[in-house]
Amino acid sequence: MGENGAGKSTIMNVATAVYAADAGEVIVDGRDVPLRGPADAMAAGLGMVHQHFRLVGSFTVAENVALSLRGAGQKVSVAEAARLLGARAAELGFRLDPAARVDDLSIAERQRAEILKVLLLGAGILILDEPTAVLTAEEAQALLSLVRRLAGEGRAVVLITHKMREVAAYSDRITVMRQGRTVLDAAPAQGLAMDEVARLAVGEIPAAAPRVAARPGAPLLSIAGLSARRGDGSRALDGLALELAEGEVLGIAGVGGNGQSELVELLSGLRRPEAGTIRLGGTDLIAASPAARRAAGLRVVPADRFDSAMAPGLTLAENLALTGIASGRFGGRWLVDGRKMRREAERLIADHEVRGGGPTTPVSLLSGGNAQKLLLAREVSDGARLLVAHSPSRGLDLRATRAVHGAIAEGVARGMACLLISEDLEEIMSLSTRVCVINNGRLSAPMPASEVTPDRLGALLVGHA
Amino acid sequence: MLDGALLVRRQRVPLRLSAASYLGGLVFGLALAALILVQLGVPAAALWQEFVVQTFLTSQGLGQTVTAMIPLVLVGLGTALALRVQFWNIGIEGQLWLGAMAATWVSILDLGPEPLRLPLMLALSMLAGALWIALPLALKLLWGVSEVISTLLLGSIAFFWVQHQLFGAWRDGTTGFPTSPTLDATERLPLLGWGQVHAGLWLALAAVVLAAAVIGVTRLGFYARAVGANRRAARAAGLPVLLTVAIFVLGSGALCGLAGAVIVTGTEFRLSQSIGAGYLFSGIVIAYLARSNPLAVLVVSFLLGGLYTAGGVLKVFYGISEAMVLLVQGVVLLSVLCAQLFADYRVVARRPQ
Repeated sequence: MGENGAGKSTIMNVATAVYAADAGEVIVDGRDVPLRGPADAMAAGLGMVHQHFRLVGSFTVAENVALSLRGAGQKVSVAEAARLLGARAAELGFRLDPAARVDDLSIAERQRAEILKVLLLGAGILILDEPTAVLTAEEAQALLSLVRRLAGEGRAVVLITHKMREVAAYSDRITVMRQGRTVLDAAPAQGLAMDEVARLAVGEIPAAAPRVAARPGAPLLSIAGLSARRGDGSRALDGLALELAEGEVLGIAGVGGNGQSELVELLSGLRRPEAGTIRLGGTDLIAASPAARRAAGLRVVPADRFDSAMAPGLTLAENLALTGIASGRFGGRWLVDGRKMRREAERLIADHEVRGGGPTTPVSLLSGGNAQKLLLAREVSDGARLLVAHSPSRGLDLRATRAVHGAIAEGVARGMACLLISEDLEEIMSLSTRVCVINNGRLSAPMPASEVTPDRLGALLVGHA
Repeated sequence: MLDGALLVRRQRVPLRLSAASYLGGLVFGLALAALILVQLGVPAAALWQEFVVQTFLTSQGLGQTVTAMIPLVLVGLGTALALRVQFWNIGIEGQLWLGAMAATWVSILDLGPEPLRLPLMLALSMLAGALWIALPLALKLLWGVSEVISTLLLGSIAFFWVQHQLFGAWRDGTTGFPTSPTLDATERLPLLGWGQVHAGLWLALAAVVLAAAVIGVTRLGFYARAVGANRRAARAAGLPVLLTVAIFVLGSGALCGLAGAVIVTGTEFRLSQSIGAGYLFSGIVIAYLARSNPLAVLVVSFLLGGLYTAGGVLKVFYGISEAMVLLVQGVVLLSVLCAQLFADYRVVARRPQ
């Protein structure tokens, strides 16, 4: 366990020889194993399921397994691999079609395929890097019971996570890391107080974001009949409608893949809708360009900041200026005022406590949390009337999450409206004034945050309400 | 063996290190080239004389190198501009041919008043180059057609068009060879009184300065950097992505077209089938080595011009075959490219296991 950047993934990547250590040794079964590359680690019985799966998307599951087994020197045909897969899956008590293309599988299924692959490669020690980060609550439960079963078979399993409570119940022993050091070494999980573990992992705990007051002002955003299809023709959004007032946060909970990404792209103007209206303060923006939408006060923090919000190769100052330059904020009609750009960047970096670089540092050198703080500094700036935030704290540690939530809350206190789309219920509950659930491209009726109960939300999430 | 060492990517590459690795690669490559040439029977003593003194240190040799550099700067710059916005212009030679044809066309028809003839030839060549790249550009922007294929194929079409003209309507009646008639004196770029160096040098330098200024300090240059770094983010930020791409790509075509006209009006004084050969390769090598930086394009083009001049000498005076000259040039370029590894990565000794 440990926060983002504590070194959890790094140490396991060293153990599996993806990275090389500067010093130290890897001991398996009491023997010092020289690891020159991932193949050596595999031969020593170490198998790692990375956060981003190592599967070829256009291959079937069986082809992926055959590929890995052959890479390890076993002559296995695809048909044999399929048989092995089927048998192993049945033993573990789940079903996985070996002939399915990996691209067609859900995230949970891909993860199972990856686990099976690593097991078939002969892993006696299984390392799972943030295995529950991409799963729904139910899928996570299923995965963790699977992990228990594997441990019952006599395998050692390492779970890397920053979601402490969820995993603690399934672990025998817990190691906590902070800033590259072990602060709790393999303590028996039983009888360990979770609050204590959290304190060890975080160090001092920053104050929680102030709860946003339910003080909605004038109506601001009105979406009606919004429909869109994905590239493959399937329906992403189906007549979606919502209302949002100034100073209000509408939380949209939901399992990933129910139209959230498409909704964000439709709002930012990166995707064309089939039908519908998006009225912001009375103007219909449905056909407006991204530039016009920004000018109207619409700001977006997408789920993947380096996909459509920032350029990792550009500097902090350039990324901050990206959205202001077209309106002439940094220089006249033709020229760029680099000094003004850097000055403003210095101010925003200081105000938002972005650490790890100055105005001329490439953003790629920032940690995820600091890059996200930088993005929020840009989006929740002057003139922001509506912030669309998609999983703004995903992958961030507690401290960065607090900072991100604080920036949103501050904007909302100034009268900005926020559409918060997230799979993290804790995030939704800590910020939202009203909450609804997205399911198959439709929204449930919003309810005040105070009336939300786990039961009601759970029923909506799985689509039974 | 690399087993004993690790490559660690540097997060920042200091300018000094980058320059040192270029230089180191160049020296290593030249040494290797010298070794090959000595093996081929070129006297070792003559190498220094031909490669360095005659190419860079005598007035006449330097003049030849600079003359060779002029069109290289233009095509290198053209490639670099397109690369800035992630557009692979593999049709450099096509645009160059169109530019050369446009200039020749003006000359053959004697278009316009005589004092304006040369400027008209140069302007039309830029227009022709830009038009020739406009089609792949439109195909890419409208339907996502890969510009690598479309520009490459249009390059071949342009060459066939040149052949069609040279074996047909434009054939020089006085010699019967498939070349256009020689240009009148007023249609030629004036010589600067230094070997064959002509006024195209000023055009090339102006293009470098203009490109450096646009990229460095203008809003358009900032847009291009953003589009090159992350096109979706640039679009989401409300930047005029399509306009930026169009301006840079059309500029790329125009520069390559101008290169064609500069070759015709500056050194060859006629259109022939051989004037455009090799510029595709050179343009890409220059843009890549210069990392799309206009000022670096000038430096790299100068060195490459020297390499080509020396190659010519080797062919003529030492009977080295064309293939071997290309091999030697390839060795030098390849070692410069490979030396980049040491700028981008740190080599760390791995502790013994």
